[in-house]
Amino acid sequence: MQRPIEPQAARAPSSRSAPSRYFFRRNRRWLGDIGTVVLLLLVLFPFVWLVQMSFRPNQDILGYELFFTPTLQHYRALWTGAFPASFLNSMITSLTSTGLAMAIGVPAAYALSRSGFKSSRRIALWILATRMAPPIAFTIPFFLAYRHLGLSDTLLGLIIVYLTFNLALVIWMMQPFFDGVPRELEEAAWIDGCGVWEAFCRVTLPLSAPGLAATAVICFILSWNDFFYALVLTRTNASTAPVAIVNFIQYTGWEWGRIAAAGTLVMLPVVIFSILVRNYLVRGLAAGGVKE
Amino acid sequence: MPVRRLGWAQQRQRSFILGLAPALLVLALITIAPAIYLVLTSLTPLNLTLPGTAWDFSAPAANYLDLIEDPRFTRSVWVQVKLSVATVILQLLVGLGVALLLNGSTPIREMARSGFLIPMVLPPIVVGILWRVMYAVDISPFHRFMAFIGLPVPSLITDPNWALTAIVIAETWEWFPFTMLMALAALQMIPSSPLEAARIDGANDWQIFRFVMLPYIQSTLVVAAIFRLIDSIKAFPLIFVLTDGGPGDVTEVTNYYAYRQAFTFSLWGYGSAIATLMVAGVFVLSYLIDRLTGAAYAEAD
Repeated sequence: MQRPIEPQAARAPSSRSAPSRYFFRRNRRWLGDIGTVVLLLLVLFPFVWLVQMSFRPNQDILGYELFFTPTLQHYRALWTGAFPASFLNSMITSLTSTGLAMAIGVPAAYALSRSGFKSSRRIALWILATRMAPPIAFTIPFFLAYRHLGLSDTLLGLIIVYLTFNLALVIWMMQPFFDGVPRELEEAAWIDGCGVWEAFCRVTLPLSAPGLAATAVICFILSWNDFFYALVLTRTNASTAPVAIVNFIQYTGWEWGRIAAAGTLVMLPVVIFSILVRNYLVRGLAAGGVKE
Repeated sequence: MPVRRLGWAQQRQRSFILGLAPALLVLALITIAPAIYLVLTSLTPLNLTLPGTAWDFSAPAANYLDLIEDPRFTRSVWVQVKLSVATVILQLLVGLGVALLLNGSTPIREMARSGFLIPMVLPPIVVGILWRVMYAVDISPFHRFMAFIGLPVPSLITDPNWALTAIVIAETWEWFPFTMLMALAALQMIPSSPLEAARIDGANDWQIFRFVMLPYIQSTLVVAAIFRLIDSIKAFPLIFVLTDGGPGDVTEVTNYYAYRQAFTFSLWGYGSAIATLMVAGVFVLSYLIDRLTGAAYAEAD
């Protein structure tokens, strides 16, 4: 894999900035590494700053000394307020919506992958359009309808709304995974006496396990991160963690320590999960845009 | 044996319809029904504080005619165009730049790839808060550093000339990892032989990028740009936390205007009309994506 450097070396003397250029060429590997680390630190600076703020004592919240005595006072203050309930709401809505989307969407993705229905492509386009539509177009009718259906400010209402993007995502993401499982395996299972869905459960699903896990995690992240739907469709009972942060900004003003602590708690699950499924993130978030 | 195969195929086909039906039913219920409701509402003057406006179709085009003459709507579209164009271009440039840097496979750079993802996966509300910290003059490390070196900078988010730029910076920070990921995936699909051939022929780095790499990745970049363009129309949490559409209405994008008309002023009919137009716009863009990626899918099939 070592690429020949003779041609460049031979041309180098004719160039005016030859010495510095030669330096860069020879050291580009570790210069690139240093550049990467510096850039990463710069990019993540606002993120790290918020996290460190959440551990700073109130009297020193604006400080920037590198060394300070970390405190958990902001986290403790959160624990006694309304925040834990909203955190739980976030968990329940995200997990339930993910579970429902998987239960309904996975068989549909499999059917679309195997059936060769003529309308498959049209259905795929519909699903893509659902992912693309601006949330405001859903919030207005959902808000109006929920007033009559008694679903305003309920967890069930949010779970249903989250299906609008999760279900489309599951169908879109699982299809290529199923395409990758050879049909011959299912036929063999059928000859051994399995029904279609039994063959699916025993053969195809286990082979697509990584895809299932990645899809579920991305559904969870999208529901967990939602702010707009929860802001509009909930008030107090069902408010999720992101909305709770905004609520206490509105009631108690910009109490930086507490806000930083709440922000840190809200992003924690997402950051961990997303690093676990890094390789599938592109496909999930660009649903339809990436060719495999 | 052929009889048995036919049975398998038929049984499968029937099962597939059963597997697909619940999903299509639910999707229709939660996407098509609301869409119809939205369009119908946009044809009425619905205002929840005025009884009797709910199903009043006496002047179906009234909202749309009002929109044409509403300078605030026109301004919001213009703000949206500025925000979308600026963020998409910046995200493409930054994303591509970082992708080129990360394309070298050293252990450090492979680890850094996960780190660069963080802005994109953070809850948007948290992105809003951490930029609110960066833009708050009294506590922002950036502002205090500038004051320390004798160049104090006034608050960006309360200055009408800079508020939109502040949003563009935050939005670019949040979403450049997306274009970076897509560009990186495309870069790593480039076969090594043309790159090596170009090097042997004495091409410099710029020539290699321009004439060898770019042709391989340009379709991916176009798709990434369209995805970001469509998603930029949904901008909400950042604007909500940073500027609330202000100062005045300099950062009020169309999405935010529709939200205000419906949820603040209770003008549901009018808000629905704006949302309907937005959906129409997004569908046109989606169609574009389908045309651009359709050829690739046809090949794969």
